Amino acid sequence: MTQATATSFPLDHEYVPPRRRLGGLRRFVTREPLGTIGAVVVLLMIFGAIAAPILHTTNPKAFSADVLSSPSWDHWFGTTREGKDVWSRVLYGGRVSLKIGLSTVVISVLGGTLLALVSGYLGGIVDFVLGRITDVLVALPAILFALTLRTSIGQDVPDVPGMSQGEILLVIAICVVFTPVIFRIMRGAVLEQRNAVYVEAARVVGASELRIMFRHLLPNLAGLMIVITSTTLPAAILTESALSFLGVGVEIGTPSWGADLSGNARQFFVDAPWIAIFPGLALSLTVLAFNLLGDSLRDTLDPRLRNKR
Amino acid sequence: MWAYIIRRLIAVPFMLFGLSALLFWLLYLRPGNAALTNFGLVSPDQTKDAVANLEKDLGLDRPAVVQYFDWAGHALTGDLGESLKNRRSISGQIGERLPNTVEIAVLTILITAAIGIPVGILSAIRPGSWLDYSLRVVTIAGISIPSFWVATLLLILPVIWWGWTPLHQNYVNFTTDPLENLRIVIWPALVLAVSSAAYVARIVRSSMLETLYSDYVRTARAKGLRERVVIIQHVFRSSLVTLLTVIGLQFGAVLGGSVIAEQIFAIPGIGLLTYQAVFNVDYTLVLGVTMVFALMFVLINLAVDILYTFVDPRIRY
Repeated sequence: MTQATATSFPLDHEYVPPRRRLGGLRRFVTREPLGTIGAVVVLLMIFGAIAAPILHTTNPKAFSADVLSSPSWDHWFGTTREGKDVWSRVLYGGRVSLKIGLSTVVISVLGGTLLALVSGYLGGIVDFVLGRITDVLVALPAILFALTLRTSIGQDVPDVPGMSQGEILLVIAICVVFTPVIFRIMRGAVLEQRNAVYVEAARVVGASELRIMFRHLLPNLAGLMIVITSTTLPAAILTESALSFLGVGVEIGTPSWGADLSGNARQFFVDAPWIAIFPGLALSLTVLAFNLLGDSLRDTLDPRLRNKR
Repeated sequence: MWAYIIRRLIAVPFMLFGLSALLFWLLYLRPGNAALTNFGLVSPDQTKDAVANLEKDLGLDRPAVVQYFDWAGHALTGDLGESLKNRRSISGQIGERLPNTVEIAVLTILITAAIGIPVGILSAIRPGSWLDYSLRVVTIAGISIPSFWVATLLLILPVIWWGWTPLHQNYVNFTTDPLENLRIVIWPALVLAVSSAAYVARIVRSSMLETLYSDYVRTARAKGLRERVVIIQHVFRSSLVTLLTVIGLQFGAVLGGSVIAEQIFAIPGIGLLTYQAVFNVDYTLVLGVTMVFALMFVLINLAVDILYTFVDPRIRY
């Protein structure tokens, strides 16, 4: 490659090397078949959630006289005891899961990284205080903490366009549980990088602390951030569905994979197993796809982490 | 080492203090909370007086700090106050139900170790083989499937296929009838063990792969040790530290999962108690149960850290 370049373009400064993005993608597809399957399923789920209105669905909250009918052409996944179309509820439930999963992950990864940068790089009293707060916040099993938080924060939540009160509360609860965990991992990475030569070099040429943190350290954490995002997202979706299953998730009636498996619907599962099977299957497949993708991304992006977790 | 253990022991009360203060603040100090939740005691068109009386009765009219330290002082003596709903002693309720939850947790961890460790070893012996590949797919599926769906399928599919259900209507204590009790608790334990075992298997595999190609393993093979001895005594042994950490963490996950499993299988443990407390908006009970969970979780993590030094003599604090 270098030889060919040297002979065909001697001293040619106009030469632009071919873009290698697709090459990277092709390599990912051949080396990580499982990750590719995961990525395809994830894309399908996202497509299903976005394009739900045109995919043979009806209003997922609408009651109808057609109760507990088994899967047919009209109702691909059958209907619930209130006559709601299960196929529609699965697709619209995907919207809720993806919306909550994505917003919690974005907030907690960015928040955790930011705090880790400040804490790990500056050290001192900030580091000590944040470290002790983290110790307290991780002293409870995640699902329990989210459950307690979700029930105790209540009345006055800020309005966010496109999200209901229940969804905002879920996002807050899951973020408070996940951020400390991400903070711990990222802080470790910051400590590792803090004394690297490139940081020292930046300091020598007189870069400010802020500049070092955001222009030098942050880009070096990007790979780890992507990996953490891909492993946290399925965990966030699982936590959302577990809370909804326990009845402290989204508002009653909102299509949600977790909520659709709980409550009064349970007594009809034996007679109409499709009510239980399809939402659970959608949830499991989505989480599985994200996990497969995350695993492959970790192997590709961060070889050091290949054998961790 | 003793200095380390003592340092860690000193940190425990501070952690519990911080957590309890945080939860207390979250649960108690929303105005009118505890009083308003006691609908049974106040008529629907409650007057300000009624609420004020009730708050006075429950001691909620005192300053928050006074309330907290009053609670904490009693908690230190093992008295977690009384439930808002039925005025029963919280410590008593927890004491009654805690053994059931601990039993399920221990059983789950045993199943987890019994399945997860061999699967992980099998996977690591020949990395890249079809066996390794399929086990990896199975374990990644294991950590992806939510326990409440596994439990739901376990409750409906056997009924549809064979007309048999693993769900028992009446819970029997271990002390009353050990065999009958095991027949009940084995199901939630199995359900919770699915993801834990899958997780443990993944950890065992990856930590064994780290050492599989190291010099001392080659030496062990070179001096003619049998493959089984090499794998178990040299490779697996080195991953024990990681394994311990993970099993400790899984204990926490199982305790959290007990809220779901006990609710589905109607097991009267503290998981179910938490669920009911949350639904009855019984704040004192939520606080008490949560602190018991936290205490267990913190102590297990502490025990794991201390066990390190015995498993791996290289670790010196």
